[in-house]
Amino acid sequence: MITADKLRKEFKKTVKEPGLKGSIKSLFKPKTEKVTAVRDISFEVAEGEILGFIGPNGAGKSTVIKMLTGILTPTSGSCTINGKNPVKNRKSYVKEIGVVFGQRTQLWWDLPLRETYGVLKEIYEVPDDSYKKRMAFLNEVLELDDFISSPVRTLSLGQRMRADIAASLLHSPKVLFLDEPTIGLDVVVKDNIRRAIEHINSREKTTVILTTHDLADIEQLSKRIVMIDKGSKVFDGTIAALKAEYGQIRELSFETGTPNAVKTLDYTGHFKLGADDLSLEGEGKSVKVRFNSAAVPVSDMLSYTLGKISVSDISVKDADIEEIIRRLYEQGVDG
Amino acid sequence: MKKLKRMYRIHRIFMAQEFKRMMEYKGDFIVGIISFFLVQLSNLLFLWIIFSRVPDLMGWSVNEVIFIYGLSLIPKGIDHFYFDNLWNVGFFIVRKGDFDKYLTRPVNTLFHVLSEKIQIDALGELIMGIALVCVSIPAISADWDVFRVLAMIFMIPFITLIFTGVKTITASVAFWTKRSGNVIYMFYMFSDFAKYPASIYSRVVQNVITYIIPFALTSYYPALFILKGKDPLFNLGMPVLAAVVLMGLGVFVWHRGIRAYESAGS
Repeated sequence: MITADKLRKEFKKTVKEPGLKGSIKSLFKPKTEKVTAVRDISFEVAEGEILGFIGPNGAGKSTVIKMLTGILTPTSGSCTINGKNPVKNRKSYVKEIGVVFGQRTQLWWDLPLRETYGVLKEIYEVPDDSYKKRMAFLNEVLELDDFISSPVRTLSLGQRMRADIAASLLHSPKVLFLDEPTIGLDVVVKDNIRRAIEHINSREKTTVILTTHDLADIEQLSKRIVMIDKGSKVFDGTIAALKAEYGQIRELSFETGTPNAVKTLDYTGHFKLGADDLSLEGEGKSVKVRFNSAAVPVSDMLSYTLGKISVSDISVKDADIEEIIRRLYEQGVDG
Repeated sequence: MKKLKRMYRIHRIFMAQEFKRMMEYKGDFIVGIISFFLVQLSNLLFLWIIFSRVPDLMGWSVNEVIFIYGLSLIPKGIDHFYFDNLWNVGFFIVRKGDFDKYLTRPVNTLFHVLSEKIQIDALGELIMGIALVCVSIPAISADWDVFRVLAMIFMIPFITLIFTGVKTITASVAFWTKRSGNVIYMFYMFSDFAKYPASIYSRVVQNVITYIIPFALTSYYPALFILKGKDPLFNLGMPVLAAVVLMGLGVFVWHRGIRAYESAGS
């Protein structure tokens, strides 16, 4: 369905010295440097698949999505979606895709939500009867009825996001691009949106590409993820593979009354761990230790710690996605 | 034909949205109407002061000058009414990355941008222009015939495109520079020269506003034919040619610009 072949995007950036003087200088003698936002990324997505696209801020996720949706022209490389080139066949191509940028909206801000769908119906040339059916379906999945008559400016973020997703699905696209669709939403709304995406994917075989910072989005929705950092692909595979390899990292943090707790705790010696499997940092009374729970069970870690020092507060956390990516990148995994 | 029908349909829908949007904020709308009439009143007063002191301008009678002034306002007003959104492209839309929206819709981007917004304020120029033309015509002793009146009406869409073309070209600069509002402004301001007969300016200015930023073609040259029957080939042909060339260039630069569009981080 989707083939990205060595996609690359370079931007020219003007380098300015700080201050007004620097600004004036750059007005007359602009210095530019080339910034490579995306470096030769290739991947494929099958029809009906939900692909999770993750990476830290500034990794180039949005740039890739914008190239796939025809917003940006790649510097080199190419992408083909359903046999079409997004830039060359733009008008016929965009009829087959839906796009949601979580940070923006395509709704008519000042008018009741219903008006937006009326206009999009014309823009995408949706016939009257399929429009009615479609709206009924989207209503059911995304529960728009409560606020479809309210002006868009009065919608809450969660309502607006549902409305935006509905807007992107009105013309029954074959591919749906979601750029951070759950950003800033509460747990309940996040869950609703995930279920809606899942429902649409399973019912209509819609191919979905999803970027997010929330690992739960990925866990619930997609079997496969592509991870990028600094413009390069660092992981491409199933969630299970990722978890088996990198998802076993746990972070144990605690407050302690014992002086020099960090020195007292000799995890590496006791459990015979390498630097890859454990890192320890302490600052005053709080101590943080990251370790590979496949090498040492969490319970062993806890009992050893509690036996060595006095602890007043304790928490265990899954490694968050940024942490996994950081480790992947440091280890130089090649996709 | 089918394409034109679709464009007409989309345009009508965008217009309807715009009117609904204005009605959404009724208080603001009413205050806008009131201030609109105040502005028009002060413009009228200003014109009256100018023309009551200018009896005759390099061989043009005061009524002819009023005709040229009025004629320059009509296409400018039409452009301002329909195609004002280009200013937003130059100032905000590209810089903030909001142009993304247009690229993900199956509609020609330039058409979408142009037809999406209307500017009610422009009715001032339009009404004023029509009024000045209507007031001046009976007072001008020209050989009026059907052909001259038809020529005037026929020219208006083309002259409008001269304005739109210049704005499209200069707005497109934003795709490379991120912001080009002041570039639009600089070129657009040349249209002020069009309000008076071009013959009152120096040779250099005349050449600039005829051949380079050709706003003299928007009223002075057509008026030379309409009022004095002079050289229809040049006086009508040049504005039509300029309209086609400028708008064509505008469309070309616009689409080249899209390839350079960089969006904005999100």
